[in-house]
Amino acid sequence: MLIEIENLSVTYLRNGRQTRAVEGVSLAVAACESFGLVGESGSGKSTILRAICGLAPVSGGTIRIDGKAIPTPRGRAFSRRVQMVFQDPYASLHPRHTIDRTLSEPLAIHGLPLTDAAITKALTDVGLPANFRFRYPHQLSGGQRQRVAIARALMLEPEILLLDEPTSALDASVQAETLNLLSRLRAERGLTFLMVSHDLAVIDHMCDRVLVMQHGRAVEELTRDALATAQMKTDYARNLFAASADRMLQG
Amino acid sequence: MTALTTWLRDPNPASRMQSRLGQSYLSWLRLRRNPLAMIGLTITAALIFIAVFAPLLAPHDPITQELGRRLLPPGTSGNILGTDDFGRDILSRILYGSRITLYIVLLVILTAPVVGLVIGTVAGYFGGWVDTILMRITDIFLAFPKLILALALVAVLGPGMENAVLAIALTSWPPYARVARAETLTVRNSDYIAAVKLQGASSARVIWGHIIPMCLPSVIIRVTLDMAGVILTAAGLGFLGLGVQPPLPEWGLMISSGRKFLFEQWWVATMPGLAIFIVSLGFNLLGDGLRDVLDPKSASK
Amino acid sequence: MSLLSVKNLRVTFDTEAGRVEAVRDVSFDLGRERLGIVGESGSGKTMTGRAVLRLIRPPGKIEADEMTFDGIDLMRASETEMRALRGPRIAMVMQDPKYSLNPVMKIGAQLTEGLRQRDRASKPEAYAKAIDALNAVHIRDPERVMEAYPHELSGGMGQRVMIAMMLIPNPDLLIADEPTSALDVTVQAEVLSILDNLVKTRGMGLIFISHDLRLVARFCDRVLVMYKGKVVEELAAKDLLHAKHPYTQGLLNCLPRIGGAREPLPSLDRDASWAL
Repeated sequence: MLIEIENLSVTYLRNGRQTRAVEGVSLAVAACESFGLVGESGSGKSTILRAICGLAPVSGGTIRIDGKAIPTPRGRAFSRRVQMVFQDPYASLHPRHTIDRTLSEPLAIHGLPLTDAAITKALTDVGLPANFRFRYPHQLSGGQRQRVAIARALMLEPEILLLDEPTSALDASVQAETLNLLSRLRAERGLTFLMVSHDLAVIDHMCDRVLVMQHGRAVEELTRDALATAQMKTDYARNLFAASADRMLQG
Repeated sequence: MTALTTWLRDPNPASRMQSRLGQSYLSWLRLRRNPLAMIGLTITAALIFIAVFAPLLAPHDPITQELGRRLLPPGTSGNILGTDDFGRDILSRILYGSRITLYIVLLVILTAPVVGLVIGTVAGYFGGWVDTILMRITDIFLAFPKLILALALVAVLGPGMENAVLAIALTSWPPYARVARAETLTVRNSDYIAAVKLQGASSARVIWGHIIPMCLPSVIIRVTLDMAGVILTAAGLGFLGLGVQPPLPEWGLMISSGRKFLFEQWWVATMPGLAIFIVSLGFNLLGDGLRDVLDPKSASK
Repeated sequence: MSLLSVKNLRVTFDTEAGRVEAVRDVSFDLGRERLGIVGESGSGKTMTGRAVLRLIRPPGKIEADEMTFDGIDLMRASETEMRALRGPRIAMVMQDPKYSLNPVMKIGAQLTEGLRQRDRASKPEAYAKAIDALNAVHIRDPERVMEAYPHELSGGMGQRVMIAMMLIPNPDLLIADEPTSALDVTVQAEVLSILDNLVKTRGMGLIFISHDLRLVARFCDRVLVMYKGKVVEELAAKDLLHAKHPYTQGLLNCLPRIGGAREPLPSLDRDASWAL
């Protein structure tokens, strides 16, 4: 197993009060697998991704990558293996940096050769024209920004991509293009996805296995077949499925 | 010319340099659209021009006294703005004084906001005890009246223009630190900062390359609004004999020396006062225009 | 007679980059029914909703051959008359309750403010009406919610409070702009059933603006599909899944489905002629 999470708990301290965002969640993702986390807002699904990246305070449990516990702070070696794509493409790109600067930053941080070709290739790989290079984020549409964010995450050629609702801020047609892009990149580069979404249809389209979460706890793990044939064991997962009934395959 | 502008306005620049120059050109176009900012720019440019060419522009020597021509009113032939109590031409003194004003202003701009930015962003970014310590130091500086603190510093360092500038800079950074910290707190949890941290960037890199650009506009506004105060503090120090020393033609010094005749010979204090007013207005207008230019998002609307 | 009649509505913005036509010749009639307006971002659906209330800021301009609400000519109405219409007769619910509620005022005070000021209701009377409104949107324990501040409510609760607030003056028309997109699917269903109930029992007209075709198909009676400021197709909601226009079809096809094949989702090939 490439990613192993055991009994993970995340506790935020807010105004002297402790809030448990994640409680005792375990999951394991094999290499080149695509694993989904689904749940409603406040279920702690995004917090798990942030905890892996060191952006949320882990209060218990272990996170292992390739059998080794990940160090705190995460360090540069970690960032070359794991990268993340955020939900809101309007908030995840620096508004004062050109696309060129955004994409060259990871190379500069890691002291990798910073060539024109590398940036151009990164852009064309995510289906953006190379002449977008010196534009600012506000000159791009939401879908184009999300492509830039994906390109940025791939600059360091990681094996694991954490996707936090990567398409929920996008229009339906743009969502389709972005999901296709992610699937293509995964196939081409053998990436491992850990993907968070509230949309069961998106998760079903993208993931091999899915963990249903509620109130910071894991409710039920389902395979793709179990999801498609509605073989849930818990009431909550069934409710969630029923509320997404209009996302079923027609006919 | 048209070939150059089309090259500059190319929406798909071919190199970093073209993109940067193109951005500067667009910023210039944006600034030009704002008539008030252009007035500010004109005043600032005029100040620099006058400071550089003061010896050529001034009709008299600013320091030579001519006691026979004391306190002449404005409009006297040879002394358009009148003369002061030592018979020195006020116009010449104002023209030469622009050099001192510009020097003080530049030195303060180069020091106080930089110190404030660094302290504010570091405090805001790290939070916790770093924040507590840095902000308490800021509070201590803020708790003293500016002039008193500057006085104390000059008393220790000895009078003179450089020490006055140093004293002003040391007393004027706390507001910038406050502004920078407040801005930092709003951006430090944003996704784009999380993204660059996740790429393994060091804290210094995050602060310098990603947070400071977001704090710059509000700090620039603050700086331009403070410019009048800086000129006046310098004048106050001069007045107390701790800043620029007479007979140098410093504007604040000229006002304080004209104070004695304010009712009978109003022009002695009013003319340098007008100069300070115009220059501060120029800085304010320019600063306001610059803020809009520095924010590519607001400009695109 | 229809409640709202709009003919050739145009919303244009004169910007430095040139004239932007946000809404182009949109016409529709609305009775006491649920009309859905769907489209992608930038299609002009929100602008259409706001234009009905004449809530477009300059440099935006509203033009229409006709825009009447219950016999009132909205194009000719003075600003004072419009203000009397907004709220009491035509209400609007926005996407995110976080930005629509005053963060430093208790819910109760916000709910009763209009009643006390506009209708000169007594304090107990206003309180009773507010409680009724909260009950109408299925809020349990309305007394507690009256004493709460907006940040103490969840997203779904906040949106229900917003709807309650809009319903207190008993409007004839409710314009709901993406009222459920910030909400979870299970909460979404609840809010929709509340809206549905209100249309049925109070005989209200509803304009439901959304980007979610499936939601609109399930919930509305009639649907306008907008693309680049124009209505490309108008059809009964039950026929939406058999839409004729290639844009509507494309929008439906590009959605992933549970149990669907793993092949790439069909992309939407935009035809320049749709925008003409």
